[in-house]
Amino acid sequence: MDHEEWLERAEIYALGALDGEELSQFEEHLASGCPLCEERLLETREALVQLPRSLASVEPPESLKADLLRRIAPEVKVAVSERSGFRWAWWGLGAGALAAAGLLLVISWNLITARKELHEHQAQIAALQTQAAQREQLIQFLSDPQVRVVNLAGLPASPSARAQLLWNPLSRTGLLLVTGLPQIPRDKEYELWAIAGAEPVPAGVFIVNEQGLALFRLPTLPEAKNYDKFAVTLEPAGGVPKPTGTMVLLGSL
Amino acid sequence: MAAESGDDPIRLIRQIADGNRDAFQRFYDLFASLAFTLAVRILRDRVAAEDLLQEAFFQLWNQAASYSQERGSPEAWVITIIRSRAIDKLRSIRRREKSFVPMERPGGKEYDRKVESGAEESEARLTVNSVLAQLPEAQRQVLEMAYFEGLTQSEIAERLKEPLGTVKTRIRTALTRLRELFGAKMA
Repeated sequence: MDHEEWLERAEIYALGALDGEELSQFEEHLASGCPLCEERLLETREALVQLPRSLASVEPPESLKADLLRRIAPEVKVAVSERSGFRWAWWGLGAGALAAAGLLLVISWNLITARKELHEHQAQIAALQTQAAQREQLIQFLSDPQVRVVNLAGLPASPSARAQLLWNPLSRTGLLLVTGLPQIPRDKEYELWAIAGAEPVPAGVFIVNEQGLALFRLPTLPEAKNYDKFAVTLEPAGGVPKPTGTMVLLGSL
Repeated sequence: MAAESGDDPIRLIRQIADGNRDAFQRFYDLFASLAFTLAVRILRDRVAAEDLLQEAFFQLWNQAASYSQERGSPEAWVITIIRSRAIDKLRSIRRREKSFVPMERPGGKEYDRKVESGAEESEARLTVNSVLAQLPEAQRQVLEMAYFEGLTQSEIAERLKEPLGTVKTRIRTALTRLRELFGAKMA
């Protein structure tokens, strides 16, 4: 076929009007790598961009932008993976001093977050719903007298960061509350490590929100380990089996 | 804040790829109006256009890292995504209804109206309309039927009761002219 005919198809293709056999043939031709058709396609697309400019402008509602911004707000990852053996309902209901300390943490958490989100009330509603669910989780978690608090301090990479891990050594589960960690690119995540002696065990990945906050529930960790230290490193998104990145938080039981 | 440099759309896309929400917000401000105008024109349904705009910009947020300058301008990237989503939706509605959605008489109506009410139009729109006004009616008609109504060359031939070859020639001539005219205007 004369190549001029391919160029014609490239233009009609850019317009979205190519159909039938001509469409499938052209797509094959393009996939085989034709710089001329590729170029014509791009040129035509650029010219076509002018067409919507001929229309009387219609403004989208402001609420749409707010919805969109709320939608792309960083999610606080609560549950990474739920392995066997984790049963909230098994936990006793006796509340102790730790529960009170935990509730204080919850209240502070809500205040810090809520205060900074007042300007975007729709975002705030979504955030508050998340917080309500998180608060429920915290209260349930704290009702177990086995729970201990591990303070993690910021290392030179993130000196202002700190975290409290509410750790239940019996069920090997925990909740991590983080403040002051910087936001990170989407190809990175923070990874928590539970360290038994010198062996770090992956304890889940999380990201922080705009205020550098995260509330993260650990997966149930493997048995027969005496975890006595906890650390957070910066790793590729999805986490890695052994730490490779900079350590940002560290604390001992 | 370096507003001037930040509002370069290519730079904004790079920042969006790094998860920068502020850059995304500025990128939205740059293109949302044009994108929404196009979505409303194609779908003729404001609510559906709002949904589409949100989905399309969410896609832009997620795919910013895959944007390449060699593959076209940021504007063409946005408009191509909007248009392709809108046309897909339009075609699925047509399939569902097994008939074409009612459409205004195709042709130069849109453009003619714009040129007449020029006093209140933006400079950019006037420029585009004056360029489009130079296209013969029959060429503008096929262009509009394809671009805004999402009709393929065969569907246009069927509707206009013209041979497919004639429609293809009209489309081709219109597009060639469009490239030349806009090329000359934009240069």
